[in-house]
Amino acid sequence: MVNFTVHNCGLTVGNIEILGVSAASMLQIGDSDYVTLYSMFDTPPESIIAGPIAPLPVPEGEEDAVGEAPMAG
Amino acid sequence: MQPSYPIRLSQIGLVSVVDVSLGAIIQFGDRAEATPRLNALAVQRAIDHTKAGSVYFESYQIFNRPRQKLIDPVAEAGQDVSIRRINHCPRINVGCVFVTAVGSTSSLLAGNAMRTTAESRIKHIRQYEKSLINVT
Repeated sequence: MVNFTVHNCGLTVGNIEILGVSAASMLQIGDSDYVTLYSMFDTPPESIIAGPIAPLPVPEGEEDAVGEAPMAG
Repeated sequence: MQPSYPIRLSQIGLVSVVDVSLGAIIQFGDRAEATPRLNALAVQRAIDHTKAGSVYFESYQIFNRPRQKLIDPVAEAGQDVSIRRINHCPRINVGCVFVTAVGSTSSLLAGNAMRTTAESRIKHIRQYEKSLINVT
């Protein structure tokens, strides 16, 4: 048996800015006893973008990238 | 010795949320238990939805698969960890909270909770036109 003692001293936060809270996640300002979060997400191997794609150029410094497959050609 | 308070209050100056969707929760105040669940089929189709028919959760194993469970007799008997919390300050203060989107059984809670069990199962599928599939 582990005896775990938590001392909650003063807690003051200025601002919180979050873009998204998604797929069984949680943003809590307060205390919790138990939290269980399950998320299953499945995208098929054949997931492709059907239709025209933007003709993006090769990124800057691509020839110097180490350990990455060449993107050009 | 500083005093110990039984619970802490959350004080927030401002909460700004743009979008809440797909079984998400925004709650101000305490709660005992919450169990939000979401099953979603995200269908991307070449044909119009009005012509291409329905899709069914039963066709995909992800929606029937049991949740993974921790098998630990010591934890189940409550003999693993004993937590003692001492609140020296009765408040949590936050100035402003800005959230753009809350979705897919997630929750934004200002307050205390006992037990939260959220579950989200999302399956992406693609459906092409028959002429696109090379049938020999």
